[in-house]
Formats: sequence, C-alpha cells, structure tokens
Amino acid sequence: MNLLFALLLVFSNPSDKIKIVHAWMRVGAEGQATGLFFKIENNSDKADTLYKVEFELAGKVEIHETYDAGDDMMGMREVKQIVIPAKSTFELKPGAHHVMLMKLKRDIIKGYEGTVNLYFKQAGKIVIKAQAKEMMKQQSMEHQH
Amino acid sequence: MKNPTKIFLSLFLVFAVSLFTGCYEHFPLDQDLTRTQNTFLNQDSVKVQFPKIIKDKITVLAMVYTHCPDICPMTTHNMQLVQQRLTDDLKDKVRFVVISFDPNRDTPSILKKFAEIRDITFDKWTLLSGDEQNTKEVMLKFGVKAIPSDSSYDDYGELSYNVIHTDRISLIDQEGKLRSNYKGSTVNLDMILEDIKYLGE
Repeated sequence: MNLLFALLLVFSNPSDKIKIVHAWMRVGAEGQATGLFFKIENNSDKADTLYKVEFELAGKVEIHETYDAGDDMMGMREVKQIVIPAKSTFELKPGAHHVMLMKLKRDIIKGYEGTVNLYFKQAGKIVIKAQAKEMMKQQSMEHQH
Repeated sequence: MKNPTKIFLSLFLVFAVSLFTGCYEHFPLDQDLTRTQNTFLNQDSVKVQFPKIIKDKITVLAMVYTHCPDICPMTTHNMQLVQQRLTDDLKDKVRFVVISFDPNRDTPSILKKFAEIRDITFDKWTLLSGDEQNTKEVMLKFGVKAIPSDSSYDDYGELSYNVIHTDRISLIDQEGKLRSNYKGSTVNLDMILEDIKYLGE
C-alpha cells in the first residue's frame, strides 16, 4: 500500500495542481518560535488540504491561525488542516494563518534559506524554499520540487 | 445701543472658542506612571527601575512574549520601523522599551537573543524581564492582559503554551505620562510618528 502511494506521488505532477509562491519565514532565535508564510494556489478542479508541514530546524511544527479575541486582544490556536477549494488561492500571512516553527534548533537569521516540506492530501509532498527576513512585505519565492 | 445680534454672536464666538480650546487635547490619555517604580532586569541582567530608566525621554513601549511567532514580532518590527523613520532631531529623544509578560520563559538572555536576531541595538532599546508581582503591576498600569492558553507538555516534558494577549504599543511622554495606545501589530506608523513629533516640539 505504501509502495503504491509512493508511486502515485512520483508519477503525479503536483506542480500543475498546487503552486506555492511568496514563501518566507520570519527570523527567530534558537529555542524560540517563529512563523512561516506562503501563498497556496490550487489550480486543480478538486479541493486540496494542507495537513502537515516539516522543517528540519524546528523541534515542532504546527499550522496555526491568529485571531481577534476581542477587547484589543489577539490569540493564536492550532488548526489541524487548511482546505483550499478548487481553483482558488489561500494565503498564510502575518496576523492570520501561518505555520508555527517551534523550538528552533539554531538561529534563523536574515537571508537564511530553509527547505520546508508541505503535505497535501491530493498533491502529496511539495518541497519549498523559504528565505528568512524580518518584514511583512513579501517577496516572490517560487516552490521547488 | 449696540446691535443685540452682534453682541450675541460675539459672546457665542468667545464661548465656542473657549469651549473648544478647553476641551481639546492632542492625546487621549494623561496617566502619570511615575508614582510607583517597578524593578526589572534588563537584557544584560542589570537591575533597573521602570519608569525611572526612561526619565526625560519620549518612550515607545510594548509588552510581548518571545514564544509568540506572529503578533509580538509584528509589534516589535513596527517599533523598529518607527525608529527608522524618526527625523534626526528626534533620534536622541526617543527610547524603545519591550517588557515581557511571560517572564518565566523570557529571561534576560532570551530577550537579548530575541532582540539581537532582529538587529536591535541597546543604545536606544531596553528589554525587561521581571518577577511576577512587578510584571503584573506594570501590566495593570498599561491595561495589558495576557491569558495562557493551549497549554500542554511536549515530547521533552516541557510545558508549552500560547498566550492570548493585548496587542498594543504605548506612547509615554518626557514626564512619564502615558499619552496614547495603538494597536501594536497594525499600528498606523504615520500616526505614532506624528504624536512623537508633537511631544518632541
């Protein structure tokens, strides 16, 4: 079964279906947490779901959303997955959904470029590069396979 | 005899002007922070008194926690943008203070790393960590709330939690009075710079 799934991943071409752009991560110090942001373009006729993210320099990775808790307060909570409807775009951005990279194993300094694995239910594993910076303005960073 | 209409209009004008100038204040707040001092350790573990350390300075202040991956870095970054956009005549008049509302995790060395990774230098910036009592007292002064949430023990047996917290940058004048609060992560930089300029004149 696992072999079949692996073969499906190899012979499928997820780049046509899911495209990741503007990937970047915020700088962060060893032992602390930081955020990873990117835009998901679903070009397929089916909805797809981001359900897992891996980053080798993080002790723990979770998909989170920042929310307005009222009374000038902001909160953050884990979400198990993000569904991207067919022919639509979903953006993980500061102050909204983001990937939380926790327990960083080393400093993530400006200019560092990290490899991140994204797992989608339909498109499978997509490997991206994300550069570290301390800013909100996003720069284009096409995904790589 | 003078025209009664003119007299009435003149009196009304005087009344309106005095009412306007009497009620109008540039800032919404005028809260004296200097009545009590709180003890903290700065990023170099040196004991300091707040707000004594910002005496005679215009101060931009935020309360944050370093395990926050989103809102607190945005707030801190906005403070950096304010610093970058200060005009030359204001650069030496303004100080930046960050106080942790999560002092159990945010030790002075952790705060120092949080700053250094963002190229924050300590000639104009001070990051403070205090004990529970001093932290609570300062939170009360600034109306900052912080509620731990989603706590759990991770694979290493360490307690992990997020914090629902007030998203705020505060502006303090040279006399140690809290003058205005802004939404920290999405502050209108032009507005806070205008207020700093007003205090600096």
